Amino acid sequence: MTTRIKHLYIHVPFCNTICFYCDFAHRVYDFSLAEKWLERLKKEINDNCKDQYETIYIGGGTPSCLSDEQLERLLNMIDPYTEEVKEYTIEVNPESLDQDKIDIFKKHHINRISIGVQSSDDEILRSLNRRHSFSDVKKGIELLKKNGLDNISVDLMYSLPGQDMDILRRTVEDILELDVPHISLYSLTIEENSVFGKRGISNLDEDIEADMYEYIDKTLRENGYIHYEVSNFCKDGYESRHNMGYWLYDDFLGLSIGASGKIGNNRYTNTRDFNRYLNNEYIRDEDLELSLEDQKFENIMMSLRTIYGLDIEEFNRKYDCDLEKEYSKGLNNRYIKIENGYLICSNFELLNNVLLDFMKD
Amino acid sequence: MKNLDRNRTRNFSIIAHIDHGKSTLADRILELTETVSKREMQDQILDSLDLERERGITIKLNVVQLKYHAKDGQDYIFHLIDTPGHVDFSYEVSRSLAACDGAILVVDASQGIEAQTLANTYLALDNDLEILPVINKIDLPSADIERTKKEIEDVIGLDCSYAPCISAKTGLNVEDVLEGIVKYLPAPKGEASDPLKALVFDSYYDSYRGVVVFVCIKDGSVKVGDHILFMQSNKEYEVTEVGVKTPGEMKKDRLEAGEVGYICASIKSIQDIHIGDTITLKDDPCKEALPGYRKMNPMVYCGMYPTDNNKYNDLRDALEKLQLNDSSLTFEPESSKALGFGFRLGFLGLLHMEVVQERLEREYNLNLIATAPSVIYKVTMTDGSVRYIDNPSMMPEANVIEMIEEPYVKASIMVPNEYIGPIMQLSQDKRGIYKDMAYLDENRNQLIYEMPLSEIIFEYFDKLKSVSRGYASLDYELIGYRRSNLVKMDILINGEVIDALSIIVHRDFAYNRGQAITVKLKEILPKQQFEIPIQAAIGNKVLARTNIKSLRKDVLAKCYGGDISRKKKLLEKQREGKKRMKAVGSVEIPQEAFMAVLALDDDKN
Repeated sequence: MTTRIKHLYIHVPFCNTICFYCDFAHRVYDFSLAEKWLERLKKEINDNCKDQYETIYIGGGTPSCLSDEQLERLLNMIDPYTEEVKEYTIEVNPESLDQDKIDIFKKHHINRISIGVQSSDDEILRSLNRRHSFSDVKKGIELLKKNGLDNISVDLMYSLPGQDMDILRRTVEDILELDVPHISLYSLTIEENSVFGKRGISNLDEDIEADMYEYIDKTLRENGYIHYEVSNFCKDGYESRHNMGYWLYDDFLGLSIGASGKIGNNRYTNTRDFNRYLNNEYIRDEDLELSLEDQKFENIMMSLRTIYGLDIEEFNRKYDCDLEKEYSKGLNNRYIKIENGYLICSNFELLNNVLLDFMKD
Repeated sequence: MKNLDRNRTRNFSIIAHIDHGKSTLADRILELTETVSKREMQDQILDSLDLERERGITIKLNVVQLKYHAKDGQDYIFHLIDTPGHVDFSYEVSRSLAACDGAILVVDASQGIEAQTLANTYLALDNDLEILPVINKIDLPSADIERTKKEIEDVIGLDCSYAPCISAKTGLNVEDVLEGIVKYLPAPKGEASDPLKALVFDSYYDSYRGVVVFVCIKDGSVKVGDHILFMQSNKEYEVTEVGVKTPGEMKKDRLEAGEVGYICASIKSIQDIHIGDTITLKDDPCKEALPGYRKMNPMVYCGMYPTDNNKYNDLRDALEKLQLNDSSLTFEPESSKALGFGFRLGFLGLLHMEVVQERLEREYNLNLIATAPSVIYKVTMTDGSVRYIDNPSMMPEANVIEMIEEPYVKASIMVPNEYIGPIMQLSQDKRGIYKDMAYLDENRNQLIYEMPLSEIIFEYFDKLKSVSRGYASLDYELIGYRRSNLVKMDILINGEVIDALSIIVHRDFAYNRGQAITVKLKEILPKQQFEIPIQAAIGNKVLARTNIKSLRKDVLAKCYGGDISRKKKLLEKQREGKKRMKAVGSVEIPQEAFMAVLALDDDKN
């Protein structure tokens, strides 16, 4: 495959503290370990990056927990591939934002900041083992805006242990006050390998979770946000281009520990094991040759997550097939509609159920 | 190999109530006789089915040859036939007893004799076996050796003066059991020089060797190359292999009178083998066949259907092979509007049914849906004709029925005095008719009730155990059909009658059962994209109704690049779950829903 890859993702596997809900690949930040990681990543970037990317996303973990000097080095490594970049995002935690970091971001043309806010309730933040308070968030966002970095996304969590509708309502009000153009919404999923999972904490009742989702959806839409993807809201024109790449099932290159990528019919996930990563070449936890059927299903699965849906004509061309004939069961689902040549799921909340009808036996 | 010395051979079974330590004693005997080395030893070694080990019960009989050097200085050959203890498997017990000359009756010294102790002892006496009582678990603080001996003497009438008192768990005095076998159990009576007469008491299917037939050689001998005749099926085969179990299969040149072993003869046709048949030599047949076994009639029926309709033939093959190993199982094809094509299976009891389903799923890799168990009803129609109905959905319309009769059993319950009250209450609630109470000793009584078999399979046994904290034991035998006020209750899901969920219920209990079932189904049925009403009805009259709310939210919120794999795996898992469900109309019904009709009345809270 020689087609150009448009999206690059780099995973920074360090955090200052470990949040209780998280099971991503990460370690508590350690200067010398981060040094070794940077050295290893440099080789991985040199070996794999061949394109000028339209979108770059540095996620984690917490990229901002690197020292300023290490952050500089990381961004220097990526610089050669940023000539045509339109959206360049970095994830930060509110407490690690300061003028020095922001100066580094600007120097390297980072133009979008994703902040892990999660909640405006300090008690809930503590129960998640987050280090920041909501006032840190407000200060950080003010600072970003002052520096002209106003393409900001905040992460918001719901269905949290100890959270009820009143707390959620206050949180949503607080988030609206931040006046940011993009909000990502996560319901807490208790992962087996997270601290919550190990402590045996269980999910909130399904009905409460649905009530919360519906409340957030309604309130954000009333306040001018577009619910453009199952778990994402934005002001007009502020869709995450990088994430749209995933949802349109574009190819993307993922680098570093635990990162995933998809290039043509190859979908992979890098090892989550630090030692194996640091000592070896490219060891992958998952390295799949996707069949045409796999690719078609995954494409549908991802595209139905957005309000824009799936371009049926493009799909038929890409996979040389007839979607409407092949997926008649899916098309008969009461929450599937076709509008202007796009296949659209009209009920995000039941997307799994809808997708089951698109799976072949 | 030296000819077998029949006088120094003993063929015996161990019989006991469930949990009285039968398999543990067998383990100790295998160790003491060094049949199995310490290295190979594991608990319940004769229980070769995974299911037996998991549940800690014996389901299948198993046979093993042992060598014992007795205190009289002589070497003895023992054939030990391990047998199940549960009431459902008394057929297995009676089969193994027919291959024996003696039996060891194991009684737990902390429990005393129980319902199955009696039942199994009577089976042994019916087969003219010598019985050696063994008092087990004497290491337990609650053991009462003298009381247990007295119970055995008073209730069964066996002399306990020479009964070994042992702990199979610790191995204490187990050697006394081996000496007791030598001294008190008789040697087999047959003659090696007479024409071959061998009893077929078990078999299983081996894909390389064909049917492997377990036999007890009563007279004569058999060797590789012999042409044998199955007297009942009148089929001939040439013997390809003979051997004994030690407990692994060990090939031998020949088997002769007094030995218990196996025969292979490239038998591919499963239908030729009947448990209880007699094998003889084609050219030198014995005069008459052995009496064989009394055919056991199934007491409990249920439908079994492959979740995948294409597996119907696989299920039939599996049933044929399983029947070879479990001759008390019966089956015939049936079809259901809800479930498609399957079979109606007949069992000796509920545990038997559970075991068969698990064996079919594990050993034959099938996904099955079992409908709730039912007894067989005798229905007299208004025109005077009589029908037997083993499937509730086949019950004729009420207006053409003159009367319905159901099977009744005589239930014998042994119970410590303090639980007599609750058990009498329970038995009465289950339509039991009090018949008798007999004192076993100052602490325990035997209660006799007559009650409908359907109540016993519904929940009587479970409740008996819970109200007596496990101390009551139950045995029952069929005593005939009696008229009852029974009605057919249908279950409707999304407005459709699901035939496989119909049950026959006593009119007085219909309302409560309907409530319990609909509530249970509400828990079991997965939410779907629309609201689903569940109703229980007799004819057009709805007795109970509940609704399953529609599914509101199932989507995994986050899904970025790295989540594709995770998300897809989740969906695949959901799809696999769906495969184990039956789509009935527009509703997906999981396997366990078909058992929901067994929901206990108490569950509704």
